[in-house]
Parts: sequence; structure tokens; C-alpha cells
Amino acid sequence: MNEKPKEPRLPLYLSMDNPEPMYSQIESQLRDLILADVLPSGSKLPSIRALASDLACSVITTRRAYEDLEREGFIRTRPGRGTVVAQIPEEKMSAHRREPVERALREAVRAGRRAGLSEEDLHHFLEEVLQTEETTVRGGTS
Amino acid sequence: MTGTRPQTPAILLKGVKKTYGNFELGPVDLRIESGCIVAVVGPNGGGKSTLFGILMNLIQPDSGEVSLFGLAYPEDEVEIKRKVGYVPERPIGHDEMSSRALGEFFSYWYPRWDQRLYEDLLRRYEVDPDKRFGKLSKGMQRRLSFALALATGSELLLLDEPTAGVDPFARTEMLEDLSRFAEPGGHDDDRTVVFATQVVEEARHIADHMILVADGEFLGPYEKDALLDGWKTFWVDREPEGLIPGVVEVDGRSPARIVTDSPHETAEALSAQSVRMVRKASVDLEEILSHLMHRSKAERTAQR
Repeated sequence: MNEKPKEPRLPLYLSMDNPEPMYSQIESQLRDLILADVLPSGSKLPSIRALASDLACSVITTRRAYEDLEREGFIRTRPGRGTVVAQIPEEKMSAHRREPVERALREAVRAGRRAGLSEEDLHHFLEEVLQTEETTVRGGTS
Repeated sequence: MTGTRPQTPAILLKGVKKTYGNFELGPVDLRIESGCIVAVVGPNGGGKSTLFGILMNLIQPDSGEVSLFGLAYPEDEVEIKRKVGYVPERPIGHDEMSSRALGEFFSYWYPRWDQRLYEDLLRRYEVDPDKRFGKLSKGMQRRLSFALALATGSELLLLDEPTAGVDPFARTEMLEDLSRFAEPGGHDDDRTVVFATQVVEEARHIADHMILVADGEFLGPYEKDALLDGWKTFWVDREPEGLIPGVVEVDGRSPARIVTDSPHETAEALSAQSVRMVRKASVDLEEILSHLMHRSKAERTAQR
């Protein structure tokens, strides 16, 4: 008897204490969900009003996030048919997946330099970390 | 995209003034674009209901221009009113009618009356279809008035405290219905909602823009998320010296709590003084609004 139309809901969360503005929090979380294949190509996204209502933000914010992601090729909007996740070429997916890893590695290298480690030290260190991580992963799954 | 194409605003007020005894409203200049939800907040007696009265031509301003969808009173009154769903503070002439009778009455007047939606809303809000309006509790009367306004299928809703006296659960449901009403899709026009509320949390939840009304003065519209993103609280290890840009308020000495409306500038000035940042946090919408109101009051007093 309830005639509420169903809108897809997304696992997004806005933190007011995050210095990042709201639209950019939505963008990066949606991008992550798409890259992690939680939202595969073709997934239907809520309308800007429904998403705004869900996150208690304004349609100005959700429209901006959708427009940016559309420009980057992650989603597409068809008049009258709503917004869906776009077909993203594999090279682009892997480039985007590498991005956060590269950022973390660069930060690690900088931290190493600040601590006075040589290039050789860093290589050894990375190998050590790789080995311990591998054993933890194996230990965790067996 | 809808937001960027130039279009006739849903509401346009230019230099609108109204005086009753020693209460003075305005001059108000206000432009509300179609397709957005606007919350009007402020203390009682500040002029919120007068604004709705002026928009419905129930109150004639002493001077200034009022136009809705580019149309003006009195010549376009019928055309305007067929496009507007209105919830007044106190409905007149409803007392003897049941919700069923009110629905029939409204359906003659509004070309896009949606009987199915009306019945669905009444059922969900648990309004007795045969009980007379005057016999319903205050909260039930508000739910019924709100259902009537929504079912008109109007381009513009003007809601004067639609949720006053309604319990929190029904209130949440009403807000959801309101945001669904504003959804583009299923109808080809942009729907606009202007609603007054005493509850800032309601405004925070569904509004795109906010207007502050106090002592007959209008502030805004402010983009709600721009306010929330643009104001920050900084907790710092000691009170900074001299004038710091952006600072709206400093509380306490060590640690000190600073409210700023320009976080970047404030943070730079603080770090130039080697004041250490202990924690950054958001500012409540309610606190932001109260600062904006005090600031405007102080400016007016200074001008006199």
C-alpha cells in the first residue's frame, strides 16, 4: 500500500569535520566505489535530489559532484533515463587504481629520506615489508 | 543542466516594504530560482508569515514589486494561484469540511490535482477522511494541509510552518515526501518549495538555500552547503593576538575555541603567530545562523 518509489541508495558518508568540501567527499567516495567494482558499469545512481535528501546536503552539491564525475568519464546522464556508471576502459581503471598506491609509496620514500635512509636502505626496507605483509596475509587466510 | 540555464525565477521581489504600526518589513530584494528547496528560518514575529502573505497577495506591500513565474498581481492572480500550493499558518474556512470534501473542493480549482497521491498521503499520515478539519488535532490539521498542498501538483509550494506540532516520525515522513515532490522527473517542470520552519535541523536536512528573517530584515538566500563548508571551529593552544582575518568569535584562552568564516585565511594568520591547532571541527548550522543574525543586527545599529 505504500507507493514510495524506490531509489537506489549508496554507501556514502559525509563528515562535517572533514576539511574537504562536501561535493569533493562525494566525488572521491563514488570514484572509489566505481574503481572497486562495487558499482559496476551500468549501475543506476540516485537522482541528484534523492542523493541530496539521503545525505542531507543540497542539490547544488550533488549536481556538482555528478558533473565533475561525468567530465572525468566515470558516470553518464541521459535525459529522462537518469544517471548510470559509465563503461570505463581497463587502462583507465588500472591507472586510477595505481594512483593511491603511487601516492602512498612517494610519501613513504619522502619519509625515508627525512629519516636519513639511503636508496639501498629503502630497497631493503621495501622487501622486508613485502615479506612480512605476505606472511601476515597467508597467516590470515590459512 | 537545469541550474545553469538562465530562466525566469520562481519568485522575484524588488524593494518590497510593508509597515504595520511600528513593525517594518523590508525593503526585501529576493530572487528564488525554480527547482530548489528554500527554508525560511527565524524567530516568531520576525516577518516569515508576512512574506508568505505577500507572495499569496493576501497582504499588499506598501511599495515594491512582487512577481511569481514572471507574472504579477493583481492582473495574473488566477493564473498564479493555480500554480501554487499554499499551507497557511492558519487555514480559513476549512473547519467544517472533512478531508474528503476538501479534496473535492481543491480538485476543481487545481488543473493538476493528483487524487491518488492525496489518498496515499492521507492514509500514510493517518488522517481520518470523514472527520471535520476543525475536529482534528493541531498536528493532524498540519498533515492534512500539507497533503492538500502536495496533491495540487503545483510548480511552487509555499508552506508556512507545515510541520509545526507534528510528531517527529510523521515529520520525517513529511520531509521525505517534500523532497520527492521536488524531484525532477515524472513531470516536466522544475518544482520549487519555500517552507518556513522553527526547526533548523529540518532546514539542514532538506533545504538547498536558506533565508533568515528577523525583525523584518531578510538575510540570504545562502547556499546551505557553502555555509557548512565555509565555517569552521578551530581549537588552538592559546588565544591569538591582535586581529585575525575571518575570526567571528574567540572563546576561552587556553585552549581557545575560534569560530571563523574564512578558514584558510585564519589558519595562515594563526600559523604565522605559531599558534598550534589542536583540533578542527565544523560549526552547527544553528550557530552559523545565529552569528549571521547578530552580525547584521550590529551592522544596522552601527548605521543608525
